[in-house]
Amino acid sequence: MLQFDEIHGPDGVRPHYQQLMDRLTGLGPAELTERFAMLESIFRTLGITFAVTGHEEGLERTWPMDLVPRIVPAGEWAHIEAGLIQRVRTLNLFLEDLYVGEQSAIHDGIIPRWVVETADGYVREAHGIGVPAGARCVVSGVDIVRDGEGTYRVLEDNLRVPSGISYVLENRVAMTRVLPVAFARHSIRPVNHYGSSLLRALRSAAPYSASADPTVVVLTPGVANSAYFEHAFLARQMGVELVEGRDLLVDDHRVYMRTTRGLDRVDVVYRRIGDEFLDPLVFRQDSLLGVPGLAGAARAGNVTIANAIGNGAADDKGVYPFVPALIRYFTGEEPILPNVATYLCWEPDQREVILERMDQLVIKPVAEAGGYGIVIGPHADDETLAATADAIRDNPRGYVAQEVVQLSTHPTFIDGALSPRHIDLRPFVISGETIEVIPGGLTRVALREGSLIVNSSQGGGSKDTWVVDDAPAEGELSSTPTEGTRAVSPR
Amino acid sequence: MLSRHAEDLYWLGRYVERAEDTARMLDVTFHHLLESPPAVEATAWRELVEILYLDQVFEGTLDRPTVSGYLVTDRDNPGSILSSVARARDNARGLRDRISTELWEAINVFYLELAAADLTLGVEQRAYALLGDIKSRCQLINGVAAQTMPRDEGYRFIVLGLMLERAEMTCRLLAIRYARLVNTGERMGFHAWVSVLKSVSAYEAYLKSHDASLDPTRVLEFLLLDPAFPRSVLYCLRQVEQQLERLTADGLQTDVGRAIGRVRARAEYCDVSSIAGEGLDSFLEELQTEIYQVADQVDLYFFRSGADLQLHTVQSV
Amino acid sequence: MHLEIRYLNEFRYSEPARESHNLLRACPQVTPHQTVVSYVVDTTPNAKIFSYVDYWGTRVDEFGVREPHDVLSVRATSIVDTTPPPKPDSVADLNEFDALRPDFVTYLAPSPHTRWDDAIADMGRKAIAGTSDAVFAVQTVCDAVTDHLAYRPGTTDVGVDVTDVLHHGQGVCQDFAHLAIAMYRSVGIPARYVSGYLYASNQDNAVQPDVAELEVQTHAWVEAFIPGHGWWQLDPTNPQPIGELHVKIGHGRDYDDVMPLRGVYHGGSRHDLGVTVTITRDRLAEPFAADQ
Repeated sequence: MLQFDEIHGPDGVRPHYQQLMDRLTGLGPAELTERFAMLESIFRTLGITFAVTGHEEGLERTWPMDLVPRIVPAGEWAHIEAGLIQRVRTLNLFLEDLYVGEQSAIHDGIIPRWVVETADGYVREAHGIGVPAGARCVVSGVDIVRDGEGTYRVLEDNLRVPSGISYVLENRVAMTRVLPVAFARHSIRPVNHYGSSLLRALRSAAPYSASADPTVVVLTPGVANSAYFEHAFLARQMGVELVEGRDLLVDDHRVYMRTTRGLDRVDVVYRRIGDEFLDPLVFRQDSLLGVPGLAGAARAGNVTIANAIGNGAADDKGVYPFVPALIRYFTGEEPILPNVATYLCWEPDQREVILERMDQLVIKPVAEAGGYGIVIGPHADDETLAATADAIRDNPRGYVAQEVVQLSTHPTFIDGALSPRHIDLRPFVISGETIEVIPGGLTRVALREGSLIVNSSQGGGSKDTWVVDDAPAEGELSSTPTEGTRAVSPR
Repeated sequence: MLSRHAEDLYWLGRYVERAEDTARMLDVTFHHLLESPPAVEATAWRELVEILYLDQVFEGTLDRPTVSGYLVTDRDNPGSILSSVARARDNARGLRDRISTELWEAINVFYLELAAADLTLGVEQRAYALLGDIKSRCQLINGVAAQTMPRDEGYRFIVLGLMLERAEMTCRLLAIRYARLVNTGERMGFHAWVSVLKSVSAYEAYLKSHDASLDPTRVLEFLLLDPAFPRSVLYCLRQVEQQLERLTADGLQTDVGRAIGRVRARAEYCDVSSIAGEGLDSFLEELQTEIYQVADQVDLYFFRSGADLQLHTVQSV
Repeated sequence: MHLEIRYLNEFRYSEPARESHNLLRACPQVTPHQTVVSYVVDTTPNAKIFSYVDYWGTRVDEFGVREPHDVLSVRATSIVDTTPPPKPDSVADLNEFDALRPDFVTYLAPSPHTRWDDAIADMGRKAIAGTSDAVFAVQTVCDAVTDHLAYRPGTTDVGVDVTDVLHHGQGVCQDFAHLAIAMYRSVGIPARYVSGYLYASNQDNAVQPDVAELEVQTHAWVEAFIPGHGWWQLDPTNPQPIGELHVKIGHGRDYDDVMPLRGVYHGGSRHDLGVTVTITRDRLAEPFAADQ
């Protein structure tokens, strides 16, 4: 199977990496090891950790970031960016059509009704809840992989509460400290405007009745949540209040914060809790994380919930295979970023082929996130394959199968040397009045040799991701600034 | 400010003050007992537990190892020093964006050290050093707060909690230990009075403004009304009033404003010579009740808008 | 039939409740056989009511009371004209249901109150064995439920597993409906739950068309889909055709989608709740008469 390496092409180091590789080679292994230790200590000191799910509570690990950044040249990025904007625009339109529109995509046969109605994240209670400007996916994280030919493909859309942006920003800060010279020698697009872009988008999605200066809050499940660090980080970046459900209340279908000076009106809730916990009046009655009446306030047009309720209908793994068709339908354009070839276990003829080719395919449960329950055919033993085949026969709707995408590799600093490891990319897309993509995104790396699972909860690490405007001319290489003396001024 | 944050800050102030007061009173009790006949030991421990408002929940024997263990290391006792510091730290952790990094670190490090130390051994073998250490760490926390926090709402809630806790504590000390000494007509040994004063760090300050004769009425007056001593009831109540004036949107024309005004005035205008005798018990009781009412009003005015209540669901056919 | 329906729901709390939020589904639906002349809802303490139509087409009145209160009364008064819906004259065949699957997945999949087991599926299969006539089969399943269950007011709360309902052989109208739906779906017939009012006395649940005013409870029945006809209403609790005495509020997958009142509140854990529904027939009430 073809294997694409981000740095090493058939003709040696790819030009956009030349500069960086020269620098890393120049530093030498001992110095790199020292820098790597520095990186770890930065994250430890900052207390940037994540909880490992599926284990007993309280297990936290320091955020593992690699020393070698990933570089995406401006030309490739323009392609990715255009593809993401097209895709997120489509998904916004699809959701709007589904929940407050005519459901024309279903009526016109672009996607079967039953696929939508059985999607795990489809929420009937979201019908009729409008979102100003149709910005249902205010924040999207779209997972992109690069196949053996080097083609960028969308692996998965995350339209509910995608996380990871805080790591993008922290990675960047850490990188400027650890490799300042390499950093300064490239013209790297900045990412630190994320907070203000997000705030602008959230405000633009405020209810029409809100004041000119709408109040935005970040709603978190609380300190015990594994992503609490990110929730606090985002509230700080935006300069808005970080609230828990108990800090809010609904009165006369309007949302307020409980403050020491009484009740303060809230216009936009950037929520980081799932739909089912949002409002015990409408969803799970045992939820103490939510706010009774919140969904009704949104329906009454008095508050905007971002991301919108029910977005899971569009990022479902069963809906994913239909996204290219939805792009053509809603935009009249050809999809810029292709999907990974996907087969539907519920289509009897496709199912037969899937069951025959189990050992060559990736089998994904449609309702799981975070890499859990994925079976990679070529790596699985017979027992696992047999069990998975039974599971598919029992519940065909529960699974899709994909061709194995080898995932590109990227040299990664492991035990004092650079070794190739598989990577993907999660860029973050912000939808407000316009759609904006934060340059780069979170490059996740599978730290285990040969592994294709990049999720941090399962032993994945991350890389700072540089969108570099143009390769510097050869001559500039000689004018080396002294390490650590130059302030970073990308662009 | 979010009510939840204000409440957490307020309790942060109270927990730290409680830890310090507990350490000091325990320390004083130890040393008082070193110089007292064994017969008074149980009384002294009972009074201490009572002053700390734990008499309803404490169930052990009234001796040194049991009470000191209960007050220092017992995690099941929400009022123990370890519990108080742990709760202060829990609050501080959720307030990372509201308090200075220095304050967080001071509290966090204090807790981590306490949690790692062998406190049982410490209480047994080097109580003086351990309790002294705890007192100075608490003072350090208050000092760091004062030095690093802007004088905004957040800081005021810390001070409000601290001063209310302190006012309650001094008041209870008077109501229980002082009153008992006076009422039982027990011979006022010099060191009994020293111990009362030391329980609130007042011994040196008292000597500076009075002489060493330690007249009971004067001691009462000092602990109740001294305008300059930071642990006198009046001083604390004035501090509380000052914070509340700034914290309430409508100034003191509120239930909480009236509550603090009432109790501050009661203290300020009392005639010490007349209450020092017969009326002392009832005076102190009313004073305490009114201080509790201030705390209740603070709770209602700033923190409670229903958020603490249980959520219940109903459905009907 | 001209009916005035007065729905009253009173909550009494053991200690004052605050920040109560409620969803009321009590308004008759407009259908070809049901005209809603008027619908008025009000509450004590007074609350601002926000009304909308949900995914299922049911009107929802959402309201909250923030201030502490000991009692919450909800009154919904509707005046409605009904005509009996026609019986399906379709000659649909049972195997036509297969083609419906993709469009009716919502009404074919198990839902929380209709999750069937083998016993229910067996009973469904037995009921339709030997016929290929869809209308006949649908009626037969409904009759099977009527025959199997005894009506016992107050025997169950909603929340009893439908498998237990079958096992115990008794229940209230919600249980009858859930069991029928589970059986329909288990054999591939799309079915849904209907919440509404029935002009029938409480004691034996028998229809009493000759009395002018009755105190009743809310009622539940089912709709099954007949190819070539559409949704057909059947009442497994009252074994007779749905006529002008049934007033439909709305439908859903099961009770959860269309429960008359759902709420949350802060306060003490104990509350009593009393629902009374009074139906007056043939009274020419003033459409917008103020409630008491």
